[in-house]
Parts: sequence; structure tokens; C-alpha cells
Amino acid sequence: MKRTLPFIIILVVLGAAVGSALYFTRSTPGSNSVSPSPTNSSAPANAPQPVLTGVAGADPPHTQGSPNAPARLEEFGDFQCPPCGLFHPILKQMQSEFGDKLQVTFREFPLTPAHQHAVAAASAAEAAGMQGKFWEMHDLIYEHQNDWKDNFDVRPIFEGYATQIGLNLDRFRQDITSEAVAQRIFLDGKRGHSMGVKGTPTVFLNGREVPFESLPAEKLRVILQSTIAASGNR
Amino acid sequence: MKLYLTAAIVSLAGLADAIYLTIEHVTGQSVRCTIVAGCSEVLSSQYAVVAGVPLALIGAAAYFGVFSLATLAAFGYRIAAVLLTPLVLLMFLVSLWLIYLQAFVIHAFCQFCLFSAAVTTTLTVLVGIAVIFRRKTT
Repeated sequence: MKRTLPFIIILVVLGAAVGSALYFTRSTPGSNSVSPSPTNSSAPANAPQPVLTGVAGADPPHTQGSPNAPARLEEFGDFQCPPCGLFHPILKQMQSEFGDKLQVTFREFPLTPAHQHAVAAASAAEAAGMQGKFWEMHDLIYEHQNDWKDNFDVRPIFEGYATQIGLNLDRFRQDITSEAVAQRIFLDGKRGHSMGVKGTPTVFLNGREVPFESLPAEKLRVILQSTIAASGNR
Repeated sequence: MKLYLTAAIVSLAGLADAIYLTIEHVTGQSVRCTIVAGCSEVLSSQYAVVAGVPLALIGAAAYFGVFSLATLAAFGYRIAAVLLTPLVLLMFLVSLWLIYLQAFVIHAFCQFCLFSAAVTTTLTVLVGIAVIFRRKTT
């Protein structure tokens, strides 16, 4: 018995380790909710994600795509968050694949104090928005995230981007510290909190949260296809 | 014997930590950014995956290896005690490398990774003492 006891103990621990890993992987909130969010049909019995409206965010919101699109995706993002930077090209790809069937809205959700430049980046994007070039700045900031996120002073870098996209630099410098920009960021954050956003990127599709593990392109594509198909617009 | 038993119990803490990180990695929960800095930067970095396999899963396998060998060593299997030393030493060196990466390359620390490093360091000390005792008694 003494010779076999250690092997029995090892097997028991192995079983407990594998079992618990499988159990928690499958029971993670949202992991069973990869299914799409129907827009014009009644919610399925097992639909785990409620439709959330939340309080109003900054108005007007930054949107791309048709307001009548069957798939309306709202992202709460932080420009300094690496997963948001990774999600950026995925969303671009989805926009090119789904065209006018997908509308994208970006909401500011800078995570302070975790990311020391998150508010500065959000302010730069919003200040660019004051001159009608939010998305140009949004794209530059995300695409060059690794170039600025570890810098001590990011303002000259963002001013460089402002020049690059043809903004009036004096106005950009004024807007970036303006009350209007701060208010937009505050209102987007308030909306995020009202919808239960705790981290970034958090994505809602037609008001339902898309589980974080469903954000890779291959999974998000399936969800978007099904959502569009369910709306009868495919 | 008690040292190996202690090492087996300590390795269970490392195994639980590594399994938690593996689950978080697979489900994508820990790589989402939150107001607590660190883990999202570390776990979404290129160093979190080795040849397509999550580093946390490799860590879980290593801790299970330590648990198995330490348990066998505690029951008197000498070969297990011999094999345990290089495994723990290798894990300690990998932990040092990972702390270096967090401090100087990623510039962010993940508390779960630091806990794992602390467990590995404890295991190294325990196994080191066991080796010294073994040499004295032989």
C-alpha cells in the first residue's frame, strides 16, 4: 500500500487540477454566450447577456458606418491598453468585411491610475474630434501605441500626430485641455460605468456585451454574421 | 522526508496559481485591462505564449512535475529526489528571467506571476536544504 499511495495521491491531484481547469474554463461568465445577439427576435431562453442601454455618453458619439446598420457595435476603449491596441486592427478588418452592415461607436474609457497616459491619449483624440478628425487620431494613437506608451512626456508625440493629420496645432493645444474635451471623456466613462464596464476593451453589440474571449476576428466575425442574418439584412 | 513533503504542499500553491492563470488566459479574462495595472500588460505580451502554448500552462505542468517528484521523494523514491533538483533549479532560472522581463522589458508586474516566482524561490530553498541534508547523511 505504501508503494502505491504516492501514485494515488499524484493521480488524485492530477484529476483535481484538470477537472477544476475544465470546469472553470467552461463556467467563466460569458464563455457560453458566444452566440450572437438577435436584434429583432425574442431573446433565446439561454441568452445570458441582457440588452443594456445605460446613461447617455458624450454627444454626439464618435461613430463610423450607417446608423441603420443591423449590427451596431460600441467599444469602450483605453488607448494605452495593449488588448485594445490588439483589438483595433480586428475591428478595422470587420469594418472592411461588413461595410455598411456594421456601425462602430468608440467610447472613451481611460483607466487611471493603471495607465498614466490614457487620459492624455483620450484627450488628444477628443481634441482632434473637435476639428473633425477623431478617427484619424484614434487610428494613429492605437497604431503607434508602443511608440508612446512608455514615454515620460507624450504631448509632443500627440502634437506630432496632430500635425501629421493636418490639424490646426494651436487649436489642438487649446482643445486638449478644454472643459469640453474633459466633459466628453467624463460622460463616456459615466455611460460605461452605467453599463457595467470594468475593463477594456469592452464591446457591446446591439446593446449586449460581447464576451471578451469572443473578440478574436474569427469569433467576432461569426457573431456579426449571425447578428446580421438574424436581422434579415444579409 | 519532511522537506520533500513541504515542497509537495508548497508546489500545490504554485499549481493552483498557474491553473488560475491558464484559465484566465484561455478565457481571455486576465488580458483585459482594468484599473489595476500589470497583468494585462504581462499576459498580453509576446512572452506569455511559447510556441503557441500559454506559459501559464507550461508552468502548471512544471508545478505538477515538482509535486509528483516531491511526493515520490517524500515516500523514499531516491530517483525522484535526484530529478527534482534540476527541475526546480530550471524553474528558478526561468522565474528570474520572467522577473527580468517584467521589470526591464514589459515595464509592468503581474501579482500572480510574482507569487509564482515566490513559490519557485521557496521550492528552490527547500530542495537546496534537502540536497545538503542528503549529502551529509550519505
